[in-house]
Amino acid sequence: MSEVRSVSGQPKAGSGQGDRSVKQLRSSVEAAAYQKEWFKKTRERISEGDPFALAQADTPHEIFLTMDIPVVPVQWWSAVIAAKRLSAYYFDLMNERGYQRNLCRYCCLPLACTMDHNPERAPWGGLPKPTVLLAELTCDSHSKIFHLWAREYGCHFFPLECSASTVSYSRWWERIKHHWDEVIEPHRLDLRVEELKALIRFLEVTTERTFSHAKFVEIMELENEQEEYFKKTRDLIAETVPCPVNLADQFASTMNPQWHRGTQWGRDQARMFYEEVKERVNKGEAVCKNEKLRLMWIGAGLWHNIAFYQYFEEKYGAVFVCSIYLSIAADGYARDCLNDPLRALASRHLSMGEHLRQPDWLVKEAKLHKVNGAVMIVAENCIRDVGRRFTQIAFEDAGIPLLTIYADVVDAREWDDDKIKSQVSSFIEERLLS
Amino acid sequence: MDAFETMQKHYQQRDLAARKWKEKGGKVAGYFCNNVPEEMILAAGFFPFRISGDPWGGTEVADRYTEPFYEPDVRSMFNMLLTGRYDFLDFLIIPHSRDAILALYYHLGKVQQIAPTLKLPELHLFDTPHTRFWMSGLYMRDRVRELKKKLEEWSGQEISNERLSKAIAIGNENKMLLKKVAALRAAEPPRISGVEALQIIGSSMFMLKEEHNKLLRQFLTEAARLPAKDGVRLFVEGSPIDNLQFYELVESGNATIVGEDNCWGNRYSDDPVDVSLDPLEAIAERYHLKSPCPRMHPMDRRVEYCLRSAVEAKAQGMIFFFLEWDNALAWEYPDQKKALEEKGIPTVCFEMQKYLLSDPERERLRTRIEQFVEAIGMDKKSARSAHARHAAQ
Repeated sequence: MSEVRSVSGQPKAGSGQGDRSVKQLRSSVEAAAYQKEWFKKTRERISEGDPFALAQADTPHEIFLTMDIPVVPVQWWSAVIAAKRLSAYYFDLMNERGYQRNLCRYCCLPLACTMDHNPERAPWGGLPKPTVLLAELTCDSHSKIFHLWAREYGCHFFPLECSASTVSYSRWWERIKHHWDEVIEPHRLDLRVEELKALIRFLEVTTERTFSHAKFVEIMELENEQEEYFKKTRDLIAETVPCPVNLADQFASTMNPQWHRGTQWGRDQARMFYEEVKERVNKGEAVCKNEKLRLMWIGAGLWHNIAFYQYFEEKYGAVFVCSIYLSIAADGYARDCLNDPLRALASRHLSMGEHLRQPDWLVKEAKLHKVNGAVMIVAENCIRDVGRRFTQIAFEDAGIPLLTIYADVVDAREWDDDKIKSQVSSFIEERLLS
Repeated sequence: MDAFETMQKHYQQRDLAARKWKEKGGKVAGYFCNNVPEEMILAAGFFPFRISGDPWGGTEVADRYTEPFYEPDVRSMFNMLLTGRYDFLDFLIIPHSRDAILALYYHLGKVQQIAPTLKLPELHLFDTPHTRFWMSGLYMRDRVRELKKKLEEWSGQEISNERLSKAIAIGNENKMLLKKVAALRAAEPPRISGVEALQIIGSSMFMLKEEHNKLLRQFLTEAARLPAKDGVRLFVEGSPIDNLQFYELVESGNATIVGEDNCWGNRYSDDPVDVSLDPLEAIAERYHLKSPCPRMHPMDRRVEYCLRSAVEAKAQGMIFFFLEWDNALAWEYPDQKKALEEKGIPTVCFEMQKYLLSDPERERLRTRIEQFVEAIGMDKKSARSAHARHAAQ
């Protein structure tokens, strides 16, 4: 691994943390390879004049897919930059430009990378200029980040309103697939449908492509099939002791297909993931034969240090068996179109951020996976994490010990590997093994 | 007691008027930020009361439920709601303004589940959009209608257009009078300090508007006799400031705060409701399109507003003051700084500030402010000398 340097040229402390993670599944290795190849081909297409979109992960990528417009999810790109261990460099650059150090990181790392305007340093040659940026204004910072980003690229930013839910729908996961029109309030769906129509027209005008309703319906159906495989995989992992798949594999085999959700490749890859997990279960293969404890990871993946999770397998036989990624793919995406696929699509993302953080759902997942304890990562720069204490309370009430660690998932500068490992070790020794 | 002293009393004893109203059998509807139409609350026959925090009040109960990086002014308000400091509220309207405020709606609901005996006012979420698009305006209009329905349900009586128009007239007069107060600050020399202005503006949100209008009229009648304020003219940009600590600190040196861009200050009195339109439509439009709160897209409007306000107030320097974890504003800072400095307005920035300033922090801030003010004063002096030399030649 090459040494990472700060903007000023000094070696960065904390940028060489941990070892690389070990992936055990063919599906995750293939998915990562596909992603890299897809990116290369996409660059070629864009250089020939094809349109291209950059969008938040929780936005309707299906619209772009229907119009054959490649889309790169911001969080995925952020994770790639962090995994390449470039985040420290880019954040320093941003700070030197006058942006304060305490600002949010996960959603703005790609902006920082763009501000560098140096494709040679950026992962895989960097992102080309997009036709459009798409984000839901889910937090106060999003509108600013995307506004600045659009300015940096000289392209359009298409903001989607983030209407607020007036009700907290309990056990949403039981109703969302078939009765999403009951879980999400109609006035919120109405606004989002109108916004999606406006987005479609905007893309039709700017790219001179037509949105095919038939193709869109096919994408929605393929996506349902894909999410069904994830549900089966999640259930299989949850019930199998010892755990057949480590978290690094779960991330790769879930997120890569999710970023191509609604494609045949995405569906087939999800099926391959399921079949591979099933094969491992049948053969009795496990992440850790000597599994003593099962842990849940709550929050975004620790992208700058995926190997972190493996440390506890080796030290304690403590295996991270689940995270929000596969769980939300299993519970949160599938939609019965109810003869209105655009409205069904609108319902997919409107409350996803809230559902992902709902303590009851997290406790349900913890119980399903038979975990002994949970580790929750909380980013001090993310306003959406301010209510995480309610998750702590819900877990303690359910008799599941939970440790909160304060760290950023993409900014390696303030990550203290020894300190965090020590915190988790103490949690395991004092609360789970004692 | 003169008009200013009365407004000052209500700024200091914020619940005084609302509790008296309550004692007489009236009902009080609390609200957060300046994104909830006070006119509608007034038209419903309720006392509109803006919720503020208390830097000295502690946050022990709120800390049980929220992470340490929850914005401190909102954490304080949350704590006050949980500890009964706002026990006189019958209803509470929470707008979808900044994230920290919206989170309160969900936090209060969750606490109520955990502690069912906790007494809270009835809540209503007022889901305001964050863009200025026409489509968002229609959504806003529907939410305003929804709020009207809720207020009618609470009061048991219809809110007629006549009542709305009357409330709009009272609110507009308040804004017009507060604009005159702002003009006294922009005058050369200024006639009132920033500390005085914050109390005049803030008391408007803790009193019945008609009463406040009377006091403002009285205050403005006597304004010609107000002594001139001296010192370097400063403008404050940044977090909402619902207390006097920082202004007192700045103005304890050779400086006067002649304006600010926040919703406890001059921005509160911008944009009267258009009386030529249907009252409910006009309210929806005013609260959708008013001067840009930091939650609103796009941020260029915020940069332009900050620059224009500072120039109109004839500011000689700009202080950026950001409370800890109030991050959204900070994204605008590099653009605002650049725009101001291009206009010859120097800036200083205080980020991650505590809600309650400790003595060492006050001293640290005082030193930096004095240095900033001194540097502006020296620049001004040397510019005058250069001008004199030029004139002599």
